[in-house]
Amino acid sequence: MNKQQITIQRYRQLFPQETLRETSIRTNIQITRVFRLLNGKPMKVKELEAFEKIIQHKIAEKPEMAKLKSLMDEAFAILSQYELNKIYDYISRKNYLKKNSALVTCLDDKELMQA
Amino acid sequence: MKGLSTLERVILETIGMESLTSEKILRDSGLHPNVCANLLQSLVMRGFLKTNGVIYQINKHISESIKEEVNSNDSKHAESLEMIEAILEIENNKLFRLQKIALDEKDLKIFHAMLLNLDSFLKEAHIKSSSMIAIKNRQVVFWGYASLEKLMNQLVVGGPR
Repeated sequence: MNKQQITIQRYRQLFPQETLRETSIRTNIQITRVFRLLNGKPMKVKELEAFEKIIQHKIAEKPEMAKLKSLMDEAFAILSQYELNKIYDYISRKNYLKKNSALVTCLDDKELMQA
Repeated sequence: MKGLSTLERVILETIGMESLTSEKILRDSGLHPNVCANLLQSLVMRGFLKTNGVIYQINKHISESIKEEVNSNDSKHAESLEMIEAILEIENNKLFRLQKIALDEKDLKIFHAMLLNLDSFLKEAHIKSSSMIAIKNRQVVFWGYASLEKLMNQLVVGGPR
């Protein structure tokens, strides 16, 4: 998966029920352009940045993120290199599986009309 | 990522020594079409599979270092954990038992003998049916035991001994 696909997948995970219109308003990208991007049209840099900024804000809202960061700081201090490697391998495998399990959803015309 | 993911190994086992189309791989593996397509692409890029665009086959000239990586204990360990985790997360229609059982020496021997019989039964059953049963319809079976004292020590140490 390329960076655009990963970003869109992540966005859809964070905003699963969002209509095209809502995505357009949130990203400040024209609605027909949003439709094309979600169907694979190459993104411009500023469009990618718009999606990524929203994703970062959404992630930062989650209380688990702060807990996870704090936990990892503790882990670096007390776990052995072997144990840290195990955690690294576990997360790598989860990420890899997720990336390869990406279901690219194509929005149909009905959704465009609803938006 | 080092090694193979569980799903990638399923694809490789589906293909085996044959040359298969993506449709046949999809049918036998039971994977979602998008997932199967992504994994096939990944396996081709990593050098595990060769393709002419229609037929896929395992690359017989995989480097020794890659073979060692995917067949390493660490890799198999990680795949086993993935499958056991997945089994634990299934909500319905699963059989899973993990218990601390008191077994005297005699009963431990009997239990060990039963496991050897089970092992033998499963090996024969697999040989008998492997050509007839598609990989997606096979059962993931696991068994084993260890002394609780050893397990607890392992948990405390947190690494290989």
